[in-house]
Amino acid sequence: MKELSRAQIRDLMGEVLKNQGKALPADDAADLREVGFRSLDFSELALRVEDATGEELNFDAPGLRRIATVGDVLDFLVELQRQ
Amino acid sequence: MSDPTTLARPVPPSSVVLVSGGSRGLGLAIVTDLLDSGLKVAAFARTVTPELAKLADAHPERTHVGSVDVTDLAAAQAFVRSAEERLGPIDGLVNNAAVGQDSLHVHTATADIARIIETNLTAPLQLTRLVVRRMLAQGRRGRIVNITSICAQRGFPGLVAYSATKGGMDAATRSLARELGGRVLVNAVAPGFFASEMSAVLGQTQLDQIVRRTPTGQLTEPEEVVPVVRLLLRDQTNINGQVIVVDGAASI
Repeated sequence: MKELSRAQIRDLMGEVLKNQGKALPADDAADLREVGFRSLDFSELALRVEDATGEELNFDAPGLRRIATVGDVLDFLVELQRQ
Repeated sequence: MSDPTTLARPVPPSSVVLVSGGSRGLGLAIVTDLLDSGLKVAAFARTVTPELAKLADAHPERTHVGSVDVTDLAAAQAFVRSAEERLGPIDGLVNNAAVGQDSLHVHTATADIARIIETNLTAPLQLTRLVVRRMLAQGRRGRIVNITSICAQRGFPGLVAYSATKGGMDAATRSLARELGGRVLVNAVAPGFFASEMSAVLGQTQLDQIVRRTPTGQLTEPEEVVPVVRLLLRDQTNINGQVIVVDGAASI
């Protein structure tokens, strides 16, 4: 299975935000609320990762609730690919 | 992760619409109306009727039709892919395909109950998931219209499983509208009984009773439902997560 690196996922996250006229901060500690990255944006990002890897990523909502920063998003998706 | 605000941008009108069960009745009327309005339409049904084939022949560049059983997810997926290759990205979905019922619950075979639920509830939820995943993956916005029924809100004998599925789709409409956060508008249209199907489902006595209780004095016709579907797909109204009943006030 092809797996995207953290940096590659970060690039995709930047594209998702750029499409909405928003910018992805360089700091992984940036708060998603301040960035304007919503749960549907997370879904869009996850689907882009799926598209790149060819593997469907399914996850429960409780896992998402712990995500608060840019770094959390990247960690979550990196980990999800390995499950 | 929280969703503090909804996006301020309105959802644009749909331009490429997928219609399930588009070969006859209300589905065919919806396909006809959308084509007449200049949209691109992908329509499938278990059988492509001569009427649907005629529409496809009349608008070859804006129509994609195929024979697909809505419960066959792989076939539906293949149809969606081929439709998008031909017409462009789908940004509208009308979940219309459904099977009816005409049997008291105690006399409905277990297999028939399962078939009704699979066709009228599971399949449209799967098709919606498929279409929404493609929308989100490409950063697109869109609109969904679920065709439900007055049976979801009022009781009618002989339609227990059917009513349960339509009520399920009404409920899914509301939750999906919430879940999709304004990126995709999701609504349902719930027609009253059509004159053409009444005698087959409820019988003449109940037909007469419903007509007497309807302030407009008439049963619903597909042509009276179609403009509401078009409005939800095309107009800027901010209507989202709603079930719009079209029954001449028979149910109020």
